[in-house]
Amino acid sequence: MVSSRPALQAVDLSMRYSGRHVLRSVNFALAPGEIVALTGENGAGKTTLLRCLAWRTRPHTGDVYWHGEPAAHNGPGRAMVGLAAHETGLYPYLTARENLLFAARMHGLDQPSAKAAHWLSAAHMSACADQPAASLSKGTRQRLGLARALIHEPTILLLDEPFAGLDARSAAWLTDLLLNYRRQGRALCFSTHDLSVAHALGDRLIRLDRGCLQELPAHGARPSRAA
Amino acid sequence: MAAFWWLLQKDLVTEFRARQSWPTMVLLGGVIAMVFGLQLDGLTETRQALAGTMLWIATFFAAMTGLDRSFALERQDGCWECLRSYPISSTTLYLAKFASQALALALLQVVLTPLFIVLCHVAWQAPWWATLLVAALGNVCLAAVGTMIGALTSGMKHSGGLLVAVALPLTVPVLLAAADATRLMSAGQCDSAWWRWTNLLAVFAAIYLSAGAVLFEFVVED
Repeated sequence: MVSSRPALQAVDLSMRYSGRHVLRSVNFALAPGEIVALTGENGAGKTTLLRCLAWRTRPHTGDVYWHGEPAAHNGPGRAMVGLAAHETGLYPYLTARENLLFAARMHGLDQPSAKAAHWLSAAHMSACADQPAASLSKGTRQRLGLARALIHEPTILLLDEPFAGLDARSAAWLTDLLLNYRRQGRALCFSTHDLSVAHALGDRLIRLDRGCLQELPAHGARPSRAA
Repeated sequence: MAAFWWLLQKDLVTEFRARQSWPTMVLLGGVIAMVFGLQLDGLTETRQALAGTMLWIATFFAAMTGLDRSFALERQDGCWECLRSYPISSTTLYLAKFASQALALALLQVVLTPLFIVLCHVAWQAPWWATLLVAALGNVCLAAVGTMIGALTSGMKHSGGLLVAVALPLTVPVLLAAADATRLMSAGQCDSAWWRWTNLLAVFAAIYLSAGAVLFEFVVED
């Protein structure tokens, strides 16, 4: 299922915050149908890297390509990418259904109501569809946030610690979802601190250490610089 | 165009349910009107002469307070960032935010104008169309500047103070023009002097709205 042409490619990404190098000439490629697990200590720059890959944060140097097209803030290429960050992006005073409906409309999807209903059902949220997002539990909001990020069915999916805070049932739901996405040939990269999850789901493991990206071959072999 | 309406609908529904911006605006404007009316008790002529100025100063501060709260609500839980990630143009986003703010200002003035008329004992002689025209042009100017500066300062520390500090110099000509136009028309003098101030307001409204629509992309960029 893994194709040779990268779905996502980052070339020479560098980023600094307050004089500190968060990313140092990072090169990274993600193939269609591939799941890459991104690990690293707190503050290693995982979130920054994912945001740069999604072009939410513009790196100081370097380029990002989505299916060979340069990443851009606006334009149709944006629809290829979905980023589920720590923050859910949900409006607390809108209901779960209204939040998904709004996201579907902003993406210009056909039949937004049907899409919203589908994702409410897929995320096991039909029972609380008409409750305001603020009244939902943290785990439920997280599922809803993931549904919001995925509603336009992006071909490149970037998830920032998606399993954090999820109970066993929700984690199983997310695992099934990601594996299903891989079968559909979508490219996925997720960050995690849980190495068992990284090993179980990731086709490749990479580690961000002091701004440098290292590839971790299976089962603790000596790290080498990622290509 | 559809995105504009969905954005506006979202803002209106959110504000209707949260009631975070509009009540604060009306409260602040009402307090300014009351304080002004009570402070100049007995000085009827002074009060009548300054009523237009105070109305627009109250509108300005209430507008900035409302904008600050509106953007703070939008910043919660990464909503603003998600909004920027949707495939919609920055101009659409700006115009939707501008429209919701202009509506809030219109609502505010529906409350404030009668309040100032009553508290300042102004014999309002302006024709309805002149009242609407000045109010609409003044609101467009304040909402156009406020939306752009509000988006710029909303992610910063002390955003409320910064918003006022940056927006005030830009809106001083607007406040002067609107205050003078209001003073003249309230006395029933919709003459050439009134038209000059109204034209000035119209020019500023066109400039600020166009500049906002064009420059918003750079304002919201990281």
